[in-house]
Amino acid sequence: MTQLSLKERFQLSRFFKGEKAINEPVTLNHRRIFILPTYRGLNFALLIALLLLIAFVYNNNLIYLLAFLLASLFFISILHSYKTLAGLILNVGHNNAVFAGEAAGFTVHINNPLDIERYNLQIKLEQTQSLTLKPYSKTSIILYSFTTKRGWHKAGTVTISSTYPLGLFRAWSPVQFKLKTLVYPKPANHELPFPQTPNAFVQQGFNQKGADDFSGLTEYHAGDPIKHIHWKAFARGQGLYSKNYGGNHSTEIWLDYASTPGHDTEQRLSQLCRWVIDAEQADIPFGFSIPGLKRLPAQGLNHTQKCLEALALF
Amino acid sequence: MNRAQNKNILIFLLASIGLIVLPHFEHIPNAVFAFFYLLLIWRLIGIWKQNWLPNKLCLFILTVCGLALLYSQYQGVLGRDAGTRLFIMALGLKLLEIKSERDLYVITYLAFIVAASQFLYEQSLLMAAYILFVCSALLATLICINSCKPNPVVAIKTAGLIIIQALPMAVVLFVLFPRVEAPKWMFFNEQYQAKTGLSDNMEPGSISDLGMSDELVFRVKFIGKLPPPRERYWRGPVLSYTDGKKWTQIKKLNFSHYMDKPVFNGTPYQYTLLMEPQDKHWVFALELPVEFTSPVSRNANYQLITSDTPDKRTEYNITSYPNYNTGFITRTEFKDATQLPNKPSDKITQLVKQLQGFDSTPENFITQLLTHFRKEDFHYTLTPPLMEENPIETFLFKTRYGFCSHYAAAFVYLMRVAHIPARVVTGYQGGEYNKIGHFLEIRQADAHAWAEVWLENKGWVRIDPTAAIAPERIEQNINIDQLIASGIINYVPLSENAQQTLDWLKQSQQLWHNLDYSWQRWVINYDNKHQAIFLSSICIDDLKAMLYWLAGLIGSITALLSWLLLYEKRKNILPEMQIYQYFCKKMLKHGLVKAKGEGAKDFGDRIIIEHPEKSIAIRKITDLFIKIHYGKYSTSDDLKALKQLIKHL
Repeated sequence: MTQLSLKERFQLSRFFKGEKAINEPVTLNHRRIFILPTYRGLNFALLIALLLLIAFVYNNNLIYLLAFLLASLFFISILHSYKTLAGLILNVGHNNAVFAGEAAGFTVHINNPLDIERYNLQIKLEQTQSLTLKPYSKTSIILYSFTTKRGWHKAGTVTISSTYPLGLFRAWSPVQFKLKTLVYPKPANHELPFPQTPNAFVQQGFNQKGADDFSGLTEYHAGDPIKHIHWKAFARGQGLYSKNYGGNHSTEIWLDYASTPGHDTEQRLSQLCRWVIDAEQADIPFGFSIPGLKRLPAQGLNHTQKCLEALALF
Repeated sequence: MNRAQNKNILIFLLASIGLIVLPHFEHIPNAVFAFFYLLLIWRLIGIWKQNWLPNKLCLFILTVCGLALLYSQYQGVLGRDAGTRLFIMALGLKLLEIKSERDLYVITYLAFIVAASQFLYEQSLLMAAYILFVCSALLATLICINSCKPNPVVAIKTAGLIIIQALPMAVVLFVLFPRVEAPKWMFFNEQYQAKTGLSDNMEPGSISDLGMSDELVFRVKFIGKLPPPRERYWRGPVLSYTDGKKWTQIKKLNFSHYMDKPVFNGTPYQYTLLMEPQDKHWVFALELPVEFTSPVSRNANYQLITSDTPDKRTEYNITSYPNYNTGFITRTEFKDATQLPNKPSDKITQLVKQLQGFDSTPENFITQLLTHFRKEDFHYTLTPPLMEENPIETFLFKTRYGFCSHYAAAFVYLMRVAHIPARVVTGYQGGEYNKIGHFLEIRQADAHAWAEVWLENKGWVRIDPTAAIAPERIEQNINIDQLIASGIINYVPLSENAQQTLDWLKQSQQLWHNLDYSWQRWVINYDNKHQAIFLSSICIDDLKAMLYWLAGLIGSITALLSWLLLYEKRKNILPEMQIYQYFCKKMLKHGLVKAKGEGAKDFGDRIIIEHPEKSIAIRKITDLFIKIHYGKYSTSDDLKALKQLIKHL
C-alpha cells in the first residue's frame, strides 16, 4: 500500500470520500477504517450516566458494577467494530455501458481472507445493500449508480460499513476506485422515420430507391416479426402496432449527424442513438457519419457498439 | 427487511424482558406485576396476529390505565419503589408500540434500567449472577438487531464473549473509580428488609418452643488468633429489671461517667464484624469491647450501640479483651442489680439458705448453685413446658426443663435473693467457623442468655449457668447433637456413605458461605472508606495516583484485548509461509483463491490447469515450498530461490 503524505493524512475528505482512486484491490486496515458512535451509542452513554447517578444516590455498588460493565462493553465494542471490517479485500470487476437515465451497474468483489465471520456488511454507492460473509469466502455484488449525461460516468465512493455487534458504533471505510462506465445518449422518445439517404452518400451498387426507412405504423397482424412491434405504443396502452419499413431488408441507410433533425447537439445525438438502436433491431445495415467519424454501412453488434460509443463521446 | 418485525428478535427480546421483570414480583404490587405481564403476553401474541395489537387510541387508554394503576398503588413520585414501578410500566407500554429499530433500542435501554433497579432490593451473589445472565440476553438482542440474519445462538455466544472481555475492565473501574459518598439529602428512603433479631426483653416462661432460625446475624473475621469457643460471648442488651416474669433493660443508661475505669489485660482480639441489616442499633461485640470507631459507642452496660442506621449491612473494626476488671459498682448499678419484684417465697429463701447463700462468700454460693443445677435433675431443652405463674419457682422446683433464658433468669434471681448484684446479659454465643474463609458465622440460633455477677475486686463477672447443665452448648456450639438431645430430631445412625455425603454437603455449604461473605465484604460494602483503605494498602494514596493507575490499567487491558482480538493477522509468521502468502496474493489477482484446507500441491495443480504457460514455475514453487515447510533438509538458499521464483512469476 502506498504511503500517504502528511497533507493527505489530514485531509477531511478521507473520512467521507476515501483516499485517491486506485484500480487495484484495496485491503481495509486501520488507515481506511473509521469508527464513530451512532446516535444509539450516544444514548447508551446516557444510559450509563443514568445508572451511575442511581448508583451514586443509592450508594449501590452492584449498580455501579453494572454501569461499569456496560461502560467497558461500550468501549470494547470499538474493537469489535474494527474487526467487522478489518482485513476485507475490495476489488472491482467489469461493467457494462448504459444509456443515459439508466442505472449503471458496477461489480464489486469482496474477499474475506480471515477467519472472521462478517455478520452485517452494508455496502453503499447510491443505495445501500446488506450482506454477510463467511470466513475465507468471497462474494460479488453489483452496485448501481444513476446516470444522467452521456459520456464517461464515474462512480463515486463505495462505502462499506457495519454496526455489528451492538449497534453502538459504526465502522465505515470509504473507498474510491477508478470506476467508470460509458453512458450512451438517451435514445429519443418520439419515432421518426429513418432519413432518406442523400445523394452524396449514394455509391455505386447501392439501390437508390431502396430507402430502408421507417415509413409508418400499421395495425399488428399475426405473422409480423416481433422486432417490428411498436412496443412503446403498446406500453402506452394504444394497442399493438407494427412498424413498417419501406424497402426490403437488404437495403441500407445512412445515419448522418448533419441531416438529423434537432434543436441542439444533444437532441440530434439522441435521435441518432434512437435510429442506431432501431436499425439494429430491424436488421438494417446502416452507415454512420458524425463529424470526425464515418463508418461504412454494416450490421452487427460490434458495429452498433462502435457507433454508440462515438455518440457517447462526441 | 424491517428488523422490528423480525419474529426471532421479538421473541428473544420479549423472553429476556420477561426474565428481567420476574424477580420484581416481591417488590411491586401484584396488580402492577399482572398488568405488565398482560402487556407482555399481548405483545407476544401480536407477533403472530399483527392486527390484534392495539391501535393508537387503545394504547392511549392503556397508558391512562397504567398511570391510574400506579397512582392507586403509590402516591409518591420519587424514590425507589415509585421509580421502579414507573420504569416497569413504561417498559410494558413501550412493548406494544414497536415500529422501528429505534423502538427496540429504547426498550432494551429501559430493560437495563429495570434490571439495575433489582439491585436496590436485593444484592446477593445469586441475584447478581441472574442479572448478568439477563443482561447478556439483552446484549444478544442488540447483536441480533445488528446482524443480517439474526441467529439467537450465535448472538448469545457473542454476547457472552464480549461480556467476558469487558469484565476485567469493569472490575478495574469498580476498584479504582473515585467514589464519593452521596450527600445525605440525596438519600431516598431506602428500606432494607431489616431482620428481627434478639428482642429487648426476655420472658422465658412464656416460650414453649425456641425457634431455631438459621438466619445470619453477623460474621466475624479475626486478625490473628481466634478465641476459644468458651470465650465467644457476643454481648447484647443487658436486662436488669424484672417483674418476676419478664426481664427488661433499664431505661436510664447515661451514668457511665460515674463508673470506674475498667482495667484490661491479657491478649486482645482484633476483629472485623460484618452486621447484617438489623432493626435495632446493637452491635454484638466480643466481651469486652475496648477499641472501636464512631459511629459506635459503648453504653453503661458495656454494650456497643451504633448511631448510624442499622438497616444497612455494615462493617465494624473492634478490639476486645477477654480478661477485664470493671472495678467498683456505682450506686445506681447496685440498686438496679439487686432489684426484686416482691419478697421471695419461703421455698426460694430455703433453697438459698441451703446453698449457703446468706452465710458464705458470693463465690462459694455461685459454685454451690451451679453444682445444684448439675447434680439435681435439671435438663436442657429447647421445647420447655409453659410456666405462666411464678415461672422461676415453677422452673426451680417443678418442671426443671428449660433453655438458657430459664437458667440465666433463675440464677440471677437467686443471686439477688442472696444480695449479690446480678443481671441477665443477652446476646449470641459461639458461631460456626468457616474453614475456607476463616471467619465465624453467627446465626439467630446462636442467641443466648447468661448471667453477670458483681464481685468485690473483680467487677462484673460472667457466669453462664447453661454451661453447668449443658456444657456442649458452650463448648461445641449449638449443633445437631443438641437438637437430638432435646428431641427435635430423631437420631438415625447414618451409613458411611450418607455420612460422606453429609460431610461433602457441609463442606460445599461452607464454601458457599465463604463466597457470600467475601461478596458482601468486597463487593457490596466497597464504599469510599474501604476504597481508601484498600488502595492505600497497595500504595495508591491520592486521587492523582488513582487516576494514573486507572488510565494505565485501562490502557494495558485495551492493548491486551486488541492484541487478542486482532491476532489473526499475525498467525503463520514462518518465513516460507510469508513468501507463500505473497504467492497466494499474486494468484488472487488472477482470480485464483487458495481454498481453506487446500494443500499447496492441489492448489499448484489447479493453477497449472488455468495457466498452463506457467506450469514449470508453478511446479518449482510448489516443490520448493513443500521441501522447506515440511522437509527436514532445507537450506537458506532454498528460501531465497523461492523468493526469486515468486518475484519473477
